[in-house]
Amino acid sequence: MATNEDGAFWTIIAYLISGLGFWGGLGYVGDRFFKTDFLTIVGMGFGLGTGLYLIWIKFIKENPPR
Amino acid sequence: MLAPHMAQPAFVPPSSSDFFFNPAFGSSILATKPVMLLLFSVILISVFFTFSARKAAILPSRLQFSGEIVYNFVRDGIGKDVIGEEYQRFVPFLFAIFTFVLTNNLFGVVPFMQFPTMSHIGFPVSITIFVYLVYHYVAIKKKGLGRYLKEMCFMPGVPKAVYVILAPVEFLTYFAVRPLTLAMRLFGNMFAGHLLLLLFTLGGEYMLKSALFVKFFAILSFGLAIGLSFFEMGIQCLQAYIFTLLAALYIAGALADEH
Repeated sequence: MATNEDGAFWTIIAYLISGLGFWGGLGYVGDRFFKTDFLTIVGMGFGLGTGLYLIWIKFIKENPPR
Repeated sequence: MLAPHMAQPAFVPPSSSDFFFNPAFGSSILATKPVMLLLFSVILISVFFTFSARKAAILPSRLQFSGEIVYNFVRDGIGKDVIGEEYQRFVPFLFAIFTFVLTNNLFGVVPFMQFPTMSHIGFPVSITIFVYLVYHYVAIKKKGLGRYLKEMCFMPGVPKAVYVILAPVEFLTYFAVRPLTLAMRLFGNMFAGHLLLLLFTLGGEYMLKSALFVKFFAILSFGLAIGLSFFEMGIQCLQAYIFTLLAALYIAGALADEH
C-alpha cells in the first residue's frame, strides 16, 4: 500500500504552499508598505527555502534513507 | 458543401455555468440536482450497508462480502495502517467519509445521474470542516491547547533563532493550507473531470449535426468520452481514497506524541 508515499507527497505540497504563502505574503505587505517591488519575490524564494528546510527536517533528518 | 455547415450556430463549449441547475420544484436551492443526488447517496449507502450487514453469517453471502470488503479496506488499509493503536474509534468517521465521497463521485459516470456532487465546492468544503474540527479537537483533547501549539510550531533539533522563520509556516500549514488543499483537490478533480466529459460529449453531438465529413469525427469524440468515463471512474475512486487517507493522516498527526 502506497499509504506513506501518498501522505508524504501532500505534506510536502502543503509545506511548500505555506512557505510561499506566508513569506511571500509578508513580502507583498512589505512591498506595499515600503513602495518597493522586490520584496514579494524575495519573500517567496525565502518561503520556498523554508518549506524545503521543513521537509528536510521531517522526512530526511528524522528518518535518514537507508 | 459549406453552406449547411455555416448555417449551424457556433459551438458553445461547456463552462462552469453547466454546473448549475434549476430547482426541480419550487425555487429553493435545496431542490437542485446536486442536493437531490446527495440525499440519494445517503439513502443508497444506508440501504446497502444495512442489508449487507443484516444477516451477518460466518459464510458471507455475496452482498455481505461486498460490504465487508469496503469496510475492511477502510478499517485495515486506512485506519489501522495510518492511525495505529487508537484507530478503532475513528473507523466509523473514516468509513462514513469514504463511502460518502466515493458514492457521490461515482454519480459522475452513472448514466442518467452523470453529475459528481463533489464538483460543487460547497460539498467538499463542508466535509473538510468536519475533518478540520475532528483533528484539532482530538489533538487539543489529548495534549491541551498549549502543548499542541508548542509541538506543532517548535519541532525539536532546530536552533532557537530559526523558530522565528519556521513557526509561522508550520502554523499556517496546520490551520489553513491543510484544509484548503483537502477541499480544493477533491473539488478540482471532480470539476475538471466532469468538464472534460461534457466537452467530448457535447462536441460529438455538435459534430453529428454538421457536414458528413465532420460526422466521422463525432464517433471519435464519443469513443473518447466513453474511454474517459472509465478513466474518470479510476480518478473518482482514487480521490475518495486520498481524501480519507489524508483525513486519517491528520488525525494520526494529532495523536502522535512527538513529531
